[in-house]
Amino acid sequence: MTPTNVTTGRHVVVTDFDGGEGILVDLNTKRYFQLNETAMIVWKGLEQGKSISEIVADFTDSYEVEPDRATLSVERLLNSFQLYKLVSAS
Amino acid sequence: MVFTDLKGWLPIDAVVVDGRPGLAWMELDGVDFLEPFFQQTIDRVKSEQPARRELFTEFDTLVQLEQTFDSVPPTGFIFHSSRCGSTLLANACRALTGAIVLSEPPPVDKLIARFITDTDEHGTKAKLYSIFVRGVVKALGQRRTGDERHLFVKFACCSVSQIERLQPLWPDVPWVFLYRDPVETIVSNIQHPPSWLLDEDRRVLASITGTSSDTVSAMTMEELCARAVGSFYSTANRVANNRALLLNYNQLSVAEISKVMQFFGVRPAATEMETIARQSQTYSKSFSEKRTFVADADAKQRAASDHVREMAARWANGPYQLLEQKRLETQTS
Repeated sequence: MTPTNVTTGRHVVVTDFDGGEGILVDLNTKRYFQLNETAMIVWKGLEQGKSISEIVADFTDSYEVEPDRATLSVERLLNSFQLYKLVSAS
Repeated sequence: MVFTDLKGWLPIDAVVVDGRPGLAWMELDGVDFLEPFFQQTIDRVKSEQPARRELFTEFDTLVQLEQTFDSVPPTGFIFHSSRCGSTLLANACRALTGAIVLSEPPPVDKLIARFITDTDEHGTKAKLYSIFVRGVVKALGQRRTGDERHLFVKFACCSVSQIERLQPLWPDVPWVFLYRDPVETIVSNIQHPPSWLLDEDRRVLASITGTSSDTVSAMTMEELCARAVGSFYSTANRVANNRALLLNYNQLSVAEISKVMQFFGVRPAATEMETIARQSQTYSKSFSEKRTFVADADAKQRAASDHVREMAARWANGPYQLLEQKRLETQTS
């Protein structure tokens, strides 16, 4: 089930790289995560406090992708962020 | 210590402590980089003020701090093929009011070397090192008095081999590549071997020369130097774009330095040009010892052994001629 409220961890730092990509640094574990352009859209959306549906809308605005597919992609990314404890969800 | 306590601290080296890669920082409040090389300034400060504090942080601290630095964006970059007047040019940049000049800072060049020595198949490490290089330049380029307006970085000669990884970080920053006749360059390096030629970790030179570490170890210094500078010329020739200026040592003059400054988007004041003219009369690599600069192209040519000439002819003269051709074409177009 997709959480309704997801917030980025305060222990995570993001830095932009190479026109859209980025790197996340988990300051607790010292692990680095490479984000592609789409993952960065999700991360930045979360940082801005956007809802999941707003992030999906960002996706469909930026790429030629159906809303269902965009939703699936966003959910997968959120699951990954949760798995690595980069975000907290409620 | 919390990270905000690093105000006034600058990264002075890229190191590995207890298996953890990171940066050595030093409290450098009030210290100007006046010496021809960054490391000379650090050595002086350590010698004169041994109580200055140092600490180690892992790279995540840099990534965290990068967003808080108030830094001067880079004005221009200096790449070179070694022993070709690049220090003179860096010193000239230092004569500009409000200029920060970072001359071969070890944390920058060591991180660039890791593009070669620490790789992975997906290129993730290269991206990480790019971010660290960008962060270190930003850290070193911090405004400390508030009057800083220009930031120049002179890279170590081997770093030109990784210029294609650096360009995406600063695509709009103009850069100059300084080079010199291969025989004269090799003779100078053989007479006074620099650390990059003597580095016991041969992986960087193996990459530059397109060989293996074992092959590098088996080469004479003349061959190694010829193949390395040949590679530097080829790289510069391949990547020089409209943001690049090619400059031969034999062109160097106060007027030409003024043109380089303008290429960097800076118009030196008359007093600054006077300082540059005065500086150009002294040996560029010595800060305390004011030796007079003596043009030595003829002496270097006379000192060249047959082996130097043979190696230059085999590995460096061709790329040098092609680079010269490109420079001349660019000048006339």
